[in-house]
Amino acid sequence: MNLGEGSAIKFGIFFELSTPRPFSRENELAVYHNGLEQCRLADELGFDHVWAVEHHFLEGYSHCSSPEVFLSAVAAQTQRIRVGHGAVVCVPEMNHPVRVAERAAALDLISNGRLELGTARSSTWTELGGFQVNPDDTKKTWDEFVRVLPKMWTQEEFEWQGKAFSMPSRNVLPKPLQNPHPPMWVTVTSPGTELDAAQRGLGCLGVSAAGYEEQERRTKEYHKIIQNCDPVGGLVNDQVHTMNFLYCHEDYRQARDVGVPMVNAFNVANQHLYWTREAHPTRAYQTLGNAGAAMRGKKPPADDPSVAKGLPEGVGVGDPEHLISVIKRWESIGVTGINFLLNAMEMVPQEEVLASLRLFADTVMPQFRTQEQRNQSVYTPAAVGDSV
Amino acid sequence: MIIGTANIDDLAEHAATMQAFYSEDIHFGDVTCFQLTAEMRNAAREAVLPPSLHPTIPAALSVQAYRVQTSPWGPFQYVTVRVSCRSGVRARGFTTATVTDSDTACTALREKLGYPARVGQIYFRSSYDGVAITVDEQDVRILEIDGIDPDPMGSNDIQYTGTLNLAHTPMGLRLLQVEGNDISSRVDRLSSRLSNFSGAAWGNPLMAPYLVIASSVAKMELTIPAIRFVCKPEELAFTGTEPVERENLEIK
Repeated sequence: MNLGEGSAIKFGIFFELSTPRPFSRENELAVYHNGLEQCRLADELGFDHVWAVEHHFLEGYSHCSSPEVFLSAVAAQTQRIRVGHGAVVCVPEMNHPVRVAERAAALDLISNGRLELGTARSSTWTELGGFQVNPDDTKKTWDEFVRVLPKMWTQEEFEWQGKAFSMPSRNVLPKPLQNPHPPMWVTVTSPGTELDAAQRGLGCLGVSAAGYEEQERRTKEYHKIIQNCDPVGGLVNDQVHTMNFLYCHEDYRQARDVGVPMVNAFNVANQHLYWTREAHPTRAYQTLGNAGAAMRGKKPPADDPSVAKGLPEGVGVGDPEHLISVIKRWESIGVTGINFLLNAMEMVPQEEVLASLRLFADTVMPQFRTQEQRNQSVYTPAAVGDSV
Repeated sequence: MIIGTANIDDLAEHAATMQAFYSEDIHFGDVTCFQLTAEMRNAAREAVLPPSLHPTIPAALSVQAYRVQTSPWGPFQYVTVRVSCRSGVRARGFTTATVTDSDTACTALREKLGYPARVGQIYFRSSYDGVAITVDEQDVRILEIDGIDPDPMGSNDIQYTGTLNLAHTPMGLRLLQVEGNDISSRVDRLSSRLSNFSGAAWGNPLMAPYLVIASSVAKMELTIPAIRFVCKPEELAFTGTEPVERENLEIK
């Protein structure tokens, strides 16, 4: 089955739950509850996905260490938006695979079958070192996780002898609502990971934005390889989603003045992290995470009046006209969904974030789908071999 | 956003002085390069960096030891300690102290590359089964490292970040961006023990490495290109970075 083919481009919102200094209980409370309010509005407005990452110890950049808890609240407070648990860090020192399968299935039940499961292996020493993970092993454990999760969700007796973990025969419970199981994704930071995703029949969840050319190259390669994939589960998810920022305002100068500092603050916070490759020689990490990655593409033409000056191409900061042209460009190169970060360090007041979401839904979204499509559930997965 | 809080006047006290910016690449031949990374206590996280730089999370440092067989200044060895940081969004190491075993190299490292170098005694043994490094100053040991169990790696598996050296330059007190282009012929990862590290000798008594992350040793040819950019130490790199002014280039 093909989840992406023929459908309108998907729009999601993406949470790191970045938190301003000085850290306080009040700040963290506001970040979490502002995020939940944004999810409720996004659900009403017709956004398709809400994603929450799993990160640990990443001061300021992400205080989202228990995304399943945040997403349970999202699931309980929304009706149709799909709930993206991702990405779960697939190393046993952080998450036992049985616990991942159990939590995901429970979240799928609570959300009435709206779960998407992202998988990852972490790219910072800040996190891997904190859990005393050997960076050499993470690719191997991730591979083992993505192969066992579908089995745990679909088999009544599961047993395993592996490198990351072993266990005798047990029935891993509960089972997810979606049949055969929730769609699975891989977060893609380093070039090449999209090929790992394609080979296994997993969706490509971009978390470091590339420019148009680079994304087009990756997307083409991904679609080519996934045609002949060896799926790890009962479902091929052939969608390519990218990460972006969103600040939409009628006046592009206002969009620029608010959006550009927000994007820059996010990037700077990202750069405070200590990348695995920088700390630990290893074959398993060939790039410095997404260092400086947010939008590495070319600068836009200087004569474009709607472009938010100061940002490279493809960033979702600007007036509606600009955002429509940007999204059309992403769509034209094969991207099937865009997940937007709405804020960083709470730099944008909550009312402005909500206004930006509303304006996007009123002016940009209709260019890409009908009202009827916006009210529908996003899709109903089917098993490998089923006709769609 | 967290930034360095070190007093620039204090940092400038040990800074090198450059009369001009050199204009040609510097080649080091037949180099053995050892690098150790370690997490250090948070007390030093901001305290050792100038306000232009951001510390990493967690606070970390790297020790780099070089044995250089051929160079414009003859054979020499040097050991340098760098605090892991960010200049803007770029991964860098801010040099807090450098010790070399050659008077000639000490002068050149200070005058051409802005290293806060001084002369000491360096023992750097590298063999098939590991490395041993000690640094002494006036008969006081300030660094001791043992690395064992070499594990062969690819030459692309190790990251050397660019270095920032604070120096008095013709453009004023500036952070110099010193890059290195290496062609490595053999690389091994090691299990290392840092058994002696004097924070006071290496730049700040607050610098206390407590967890060795990893280490490596490489055989390489190293080229250090002419410095192209400098940064004001009191201003964030986003606005404080400047190209080297051509009129201050050394005439060759």
